[in-house]
Amino acid sequence: MRALLLILGLAWTLPALADTSDPVELIRQTTGEMFALIDANRSEYEADPALLETELRDRLLPRLDTVYSARLVLGRHGRGLEREQVEAFAEALAELLMSRYATGLLEFRSRDQVEILPLAGDNTERSTRVRTRIRLDSGNRAPVDYVLRKTGDEWRVFDVIIEGISYVATFRTQIGEEIRRDGFERMLARLEAGEIDVDIES
Amino acid sequence: MLRLNRCLSIVALALLLSACATSAPPSDARHPDDPWEPFNRNVHSFNETADRAVLRPVARGYQAVTPGPVRTGIRNFFTNLRSPVVMLNLLLQGRPGESLEQFERFFVNTLYGLGGVFDLASRGDLPRHEADLGTTFGNWGWEESRYLVLPFFGPSTVRDGLGFYGDTFINPVWELAREEGSYGLLGLNIIQIRANLLPLDAQIEDAFDSYLFLRDAYLQRRQFLIQGEESGLPDYDAFLDDDFDDWDD
Repeated sequence: MRALLLILGLAWTLPALADTSDPVELIRQTTGEMFALIDANRSEYEADPALLETELRDRLLPRLDTVYSARLVLGRHGRGLEREQVEAFAEALAELLMSRYATGLLEFRSRDQVEILPLAGDNTERSTRVRTRIRLDSGNRAPVDYVLRKTGDEWRVFDVIIEGISYVATFRTQIGEEIRRDGFERMLARLEAGEIDVDIES
Repeated sequence: MLRLNRCLSIVALALLLSACATSAPPSDARHPDDPWEPFNRNVHSFNETADRAVLRPVARGYQAVTPGPVRTGIRNFFTNLRSPVVMLNLLLQGRPGESLEQFERFFVNTLYGLGGVFDLASRGDLPRHEADLGTTFGNWGWEESRYLVLPFFGPSTVRDGLGFYGDTFINPVWELAREEGSYGLLGLNIIQIRANLLPLDAQIEDAFDSYLFLRDAYLQRRQFLIQGEESGLPDYDAFLDDDFDDWDD
């Protein structure tokens, strides 16, 4: 199951100052940057994971379409919400993911473990899926796909699919159920307090 | 047979008792693949109770008393014994090349790896494949099937449940239990499988709703195994609420 953490760690190892006009390049550059970052400061990060979290937030957040993810997760439960509420939800969701990925990322030893495949399949001008494969210690290759959409002329990631399991789809059911039972405000409060942990496993 | 009957009646009783504890949404709001949610939730809570009372403590004990390398050997042994199931299903799915690779693995590990205890094939770069009768049915066109939580065995679907049953006729571990009435090997297999899943417990317990968490992960994962690399994306457009449309950038 360490493998899972590893994958989670890499899953959002995404774009920073990368070329945002080409989705594959974006993923490739960001993955490279993240490994460079870890390679250079591994011991500091291991001593203080919060440091890495801050670093990740600064670099990755601009390349994630968190509000779009949040809208997908909320679905009809988002009806009647103020834009500020949705943005607060998007931020809480991103926070949760960042802290998780910071932990997982440190588990990776080498960038050779990641292979980025050329585009294939159903891609449009507005949305695309970049496929990567992560080589695990067991020798198996775990598929990790990023789903991006284009707004303006920038590509940003809004979903990650690990071994066929989509973050957005999995969050969606969980959060939806929580809202159905307790209402949006209580769900948000619990999410912000770190009391909800929505995970996916393979 | 008597033992099995008693077992079943305990399950039935537990389901009955937990019948009022369900919190499933009304039938028109349910997941399209999970129309039996109230029933499934009951089996799920029964499974959780049974797991906490018996299987998990046993699996923890197993983990505590067996050294890591021994556990790996035992796991390899059972994985190897499942090879015939994988080989046959790969054939049924029209993947003879992979079936042959799986056969080579089986051959190498059984012969030179002390009956499968050592996974030499993986060191020699022979990839391991995964296939079962459930994914074979899926491959033949039965792609969507109702979610069904099986007592003791957990997440499944009607299709995968049937497949699981069918596969037991090819798996020597199950055959041994059925034909010879010797349950030792089967018992050890179940314990070692459960022990491998122990690291996931924390995640499942942290999830807001462990039932939904397992269901979604299971259904998506099976979908992926059936459709392979070409499996489609979730229907994001259907996820969005129409009211949001005026938001767009």
